Order: sequence, then C-alpha cells, then structure tokens
Amino acid sequence: MEDKSKQLVQMISDMQEEDAVKLAREMLDAGYDPVKLLGHCREAMEMVGKRYEQGEYFLPELMLAGEMLKAIGDMAKPLIKQDAEGAKTVGTILIGTVQGDLHDIGKNIVTFMLEINGYKVIDLGIDVPVENFVESIKQHKPQVVGLSGFLTLAFDAMKQTIEAIKQAGLRENTKIMIGGGQVDETIKTYTGADAFGLNAMDAVSLCKQWVPA
Amino acid sequence: MAIPGVGIIGDRINPGFKTTKALLEAEDIPGLQALAVRQVQSGAWCIDVTIGPRGYKDSHFLTEVIKALQAAVDVPLCFDYPDKAVQEVCLKAYDPAKAKGRKPLVNSLAETRLEMLDLFKIRPFQVVLMASERLEDGAAKSNKLTSEVLGVAKRMSAILTRDHGLSRGDMFVDVTIHSLISDLEGLTKMALEAIHTISNDPELKGVHIMGGLTNIGNMMPPIKFDGVSLRQMVENAFLTLAVPLGFDTIMGTPWNNFQILQEDNVVLKTLKDFNELQGLNAMRRLRQLWSQKQPEAGGMTARQ
Repeated sequence: MEDKSKQLVQMISDMQEEDAVKLAREMLDAGYDPVKLLGHCREAMEMVGKRYEQGEYFLPELMLAGEMLKAIGDMAKPLIKQDAEGAKTVGTILIGTVQGDLHDIGKNIVTFMLEINGYKVIDLGIDVPVENFVESIKQHKPQVVGLSGFLTLAFDAMKQTIEAIKQAGLRENTKIMIGGGQVDETIKTYTGADAFGLNAMDAVSLCKQWVPA
Repeated sequence: MAIPGVGIIGDRINPGFKTTKALLEAEDIPGLQALAVRQVQSGAWCIDVTIGPRGYKDSHFLTEVIKALQAAVDVPLCFDYPDKAVQEVCLKAYDPAKAKGRKPLVNSLAETRLEMLDLFKIRPFQVVLMASERLEDGAAKSNKLTSEVLGVAKRMSAILTRDHGLSRGDMFVDVTIHSLISDLEGLTKMALEAIHTISNDPELKGVHIMGGLTNIGNMMPPIKFDGVSLRQMVENAFLTLAVPLGFDTIMGTPWNNFQILQEDNVVLKTLKDFNELQGLNAMRRLRQLWSQKQPEAGGMTARQ
C-alpha cells in the first residue's frame, strides 16, 4: 500500500487525472484508511501548489487538481464521517464566492485544505448575495469568513459584503480573509478585509494563526 | 504593427500594470507622461486613464494626472471609472483644445448606471458601452448570452441617440474579453458571437466594437512560440477570429505586435478548439499548449 500511496501522490501532482481517481477508488475498496488517503491528497496538493508558485503549473493545473480532490474527497469523506462521529473540529470557517462572480475552483481547493486540517467549513457556493453571508454568520458563528472572487468586479462585492457584516454588528468577532484572484495589500485595504491569501496554503496558515488547534 | 481598420486605445495608464502602479505610487508625473507618449508613438489614437481606487478619493491627484497627460499628448483620453462622481472630475479636468478639439471617452456607461447620462451636461463625450451586464428587475445581472449582450447594446444605443444626440460612431460597445485561462463558461466564444451579431444588426450599424484585449492573455504561462510570447499569441489569435466579424477597436498595449495569424498557427488552432469545448475540457485543451511538446512545425521553444 505504501507504494500505492506514493503512486497516488505522484499521479495527482502529475495531472494524471483518470489514473489518480481510479487508484484512489481501488485503495478505498481495499480498505485503505480514508483519512490517510486524504492526507496523501494534501501532500499532492502541496506539490501542485509549489509547482504553481515556481511557475511550472498555472491555473488550469490548479483547476484539474481541484477536480481530482473533489472526486477523491467525495469518495473518501462519507467513509470518514462514519469513523469520526463527534470528532472535535478546530473551528468553523464560512466561505463563499462573492456576488457577481461564478468562479469556484480556488474556493473549493481552500475548502478541501481547511477540512483536512480539521476545520469545519460551511461553503455557501458561488455568486453569494451579501445578505446570505450576513445571515449565515448569524447562524453558524464562524471564527473566520473567507471571501473568494476571481474577477476584478469581485473587489467591490467583497467591500460591500464586509461593509454589510460590519453594519450587522458581526465584524468584531469575525476575521475576514479574501482570495481567489489578483488580490494584494491594496485590495485588502480597499475591501476592509483582515488579510489576503494568494493560495490555499495561505488560507490554511491564516486560519491556523487566528484559530489555533 | 497595425491591423488595417483597427484602432488602438492604449491601456497602460492603469495600476493593474506593475510598472504603472510604481509610477503612480511615486507620483512620477514625467514617467506617466512618457508612458502616454510611448503609447501614442506606437499607434494609439486614444489613451485610457485610471489611477485605480485612489481616483475615488483623491480628485486633486486625478486632475493633476489628466492635465499632465494632456500636456504630453494631443490625443483624446478615455476615463476608466464606472462612477459618475469620478467621471465628473475627469470631464472637468479635460481640455478638448489639447486634443485637437476631440471629445474624451467615458469608460463606461452601462444599463445599471444610467445616472451617468447626466454627465453630458458637463461636456460632450464619446461613450464606451459596457455590454456585459444588464438591468433586470432593478438589479444588475451578468450577461451570459449573445442575445443579452445585443439587447443591452440596442437599448443603450437607442437612449444615447434619441435623448443625447450621439451618432453611432460615438459609441464603442465593449463586448468584454475575459481571461482565457479562467474561462470555464465559454465567455470568449460568446464575445465572438456578440461581435458578429452586433456588427450585423441594422439598428447598431456604425457603432464601434471594442474589448480589453490585455485580459485574454492574463496569467498565461510565460512561454514563447517562434519567439513570440504566448500572451501575445493569444491576443493575436483572438484578433484573427474577431476582426473579420467586426471588432474594430483594441483596448490594449499599443507596442504589442498585433497581427492576423496564419491558419496553421498552433495557438489559433487551440483557441478554435477551446471555443468548441466547455469547462475543464476547455482547460485540458488549453493546457496542451505547454504540457505537451508540439511538433517542430508548431515552433514551441523552451520555457523562459
């Protein structure tokens, strides 16, 4: 099995999509620990992230990796829930792509990485109206809110969302991170967020800093 | 190199470009003037201007930049803010006499911000019409269909002609060109269809059709084909498909070598295939440009 786990990491990070999903299925069918399997996915995703940072991979590879993670996660997660009923989560993160933007690949990768790091993630999906964020914060009381958006018009929607959270009196107890597109310090200041992240690892680091295990 | 019949609005006075951002942060007015001059020398008939979010708060600096640019070049300016108050500052700062009497461009009007029509009280201007969103039941909606883009263009054109006396030649319909590397929804194909539909509609005869060309190559790998960057190849591949359909105004970097590509160009072939695919399959096809070494005839060179 150790060989297979190495092979899985290699296949995911080399974008061998069909082979990777097939191998993950085989491993789970043979009784391989789903938590360990997702750990391999994390390892592979870190390799993909590094290749992206080094300019060897680009957005399509992140999207394809996200698709593989989703496919494998969908197979593995139901098996984990049965084993870890009542397991303690580190904290709650609310995430969504802001209104007017339909991009979800980056958000899905962040969701996956946060989940396998022990966070409960409430994913509101894409094109999320401002009021949905506000209502969901009231309902779930997350420690961190992640606003995602790829388009430049998302910056205004992020600003409006953060303003609405503030107006609703929910800003003080909530850390807000933004990401997904070409965000930087200026955009962070413009939107009123606490921090920005350039990749999924940044999002995990921010959450670990704000909501330590 | 220019493509016959296609005009260029230079897009470099924009902090989205790192080098321009540095000039703006340093308030390097001579640097900004030099950037405007270089664009005009490279063929731009108009210069797009935005100083980014600072423009919303600092009307003094925005005015200073506009006056400085007009002191350096004699072409019209295109003010790039979707906001009435900022446009008011821009239009008041603009002096047509310094552009040989020519009108500025307001970039952009949309159905969702008709209050900007009041700006005609300040001075006459040409209009960039943003056709990528529409007003529906009082709310802004993104246009995903060619028919929606056409509908916005027609409604806005009718208002501008009827109520404000604009000629169709004063209107530039922006079909919105998206970044190819994140286009999972077939928006590039839709933009091409919209160009075709608008240019063939009798009610819109004479309008210019434009798009922000720089967007299409955003975040593309820094690889080269026959010594030309993939970014630029993708821009030219789009132009190769769009110009025959009626696209006549590039918002882009004027010193890029805009040209019509040969039929067998590998990037052009990829774009054609990409337009016939959807979602991740389109991405898988795009990725072949750099994940698979092309035959020698394709001319893919080593990564840089």
